[in-house]
Amino acid sequence: MNVRHLAILMALQAVPSHGFAAEWQVDPAKSAIRFSGVQVGVPFTGGFQRFEAAVSFDPGKPETGRATVLVDLTSARTGDVQRDEALPQKDWFDVKAEAKARFEATRFVDKGEGRYEAVGTLTIRGKAKPVTLPFRLSLDGDKAHAVGHLDLVRTEFGVGQGPWASAQWVALDVGVDVDLVASIKPGT
Amino acid sequence: MAKDTQRYSRVAILLHWVSALCVLALLGMGLLMVHGDLAPMRRFQLYQWHKSVGITVLLLTILRLAWRLKQKPPPHPDGMPARERRMASAAHHALYGLLVGLPLAGWAVVSLSPFNIPTVLFGQIPWPHLPLSELVDAAAGEAVMKRVHAYGAWFLGLLVLLHVAAALRHHWILRDDVLRRMSPALRGASSPSLTRSSS
Repeated sequence: MNVRHLAILMALQAVPSHGFAAEWQVDPAKSAIRFSGVQVGVPFTGGFQRFEAAVSFDPGKPETGRATVLVDLTSARTGDVQRDEALPQKDWFDVKAEAKARFEATRFVDKGEGRYEAVGTLTIRGKAKPVTLPFRLSLDGDKAHAVGHLDLVRTEFGVGQGPWASAQWVALDVGVDVDLVASIKPGT
Repeated sequence: MAKDTQRYSRVAILLHWVSALCVLALLGMGLLMVHGDLAPMRRFQLYQWHKSVGITVLLLTILRLAWRLKQKPPPHPDGMPARERRMASAAHHALYGLLVGLPLAGWAVVSLSPFNIPTVLFGQIPWPHLPLSELVDAAAGEAVMKRVHAYGAWFLGLLVLLHVAAALRHHWILRDDVLRRMSPALRGASSPSLTRSSS
């Protein structure tokens, strides 16, 4: 984690709770951020082994919520060594320039029946795009389970350079599946 | 005709035939990759196999050359004309040269390719690129190395045919022991020379 990310996280932690926003502790062991794509017509799936999330969210006042999710792009695994070797390189995630993808939600929207949207900005390879992540939330006491899916166009973030910038070999549409299990931090 | 059959060492024989199988597989895969009507994923996988087997041949050949320095091959048969000896030596040198040069050329193509596809030997062992893109213009370098690799492969194919024809000529026409020296050692069929050094 670089200093800037640390600062963001610390700033988020330092946001005083107004009695509404609860700070959530995401359990990485029970959570997953996965992705799916299509290479020359053959679908594949993968996941990020390392990510961290700071979530401040009150179901009763979703608009005050915030979330920062940092995904370690070096931890992408698809079950294929060849692909896993390619992903961190310059044409794809370019982890030498920036090893993390960042999703910063600045508010949540209640869509009813346990459905919410996290509205914010997704930054990959230094390219920031406004993104809305729809998710379904189930609350059980001080535990929360959020499951969401996002469709991205990889080239909007520059993922796939040179001959990979077209859909000829690897489809431009990429799915991201977020499955987070969190509990309320004590004292918030 | 010399009765004293001198065989290559077991290691040399094993390396020779493993290399031979690899080379035949590489030539077949190469033709299929370039000229075959394949689904894109099949073609992609074939390239990965070709790279794996090609690097294997490179490593095997380095091993063979090192072994050859240590373990001298049997001499040419007695009575083999000087001209034929020179031709045989030249052909063997050319074969070794191609067995090193062709994989290197292929490795260079992979390393300069705009696709920058990582080489992972047999889907398991990551293998680096040659650091060529800093030295030469990638596009021009790739084009040259592709030609070198393709023409080299045809030349190797012809040399293999010549090599096989020469071996068969020795076996069937000249009726000497040249082919038997390199024939895969079968249990019980081992020639006296195998025990020569130890007895």
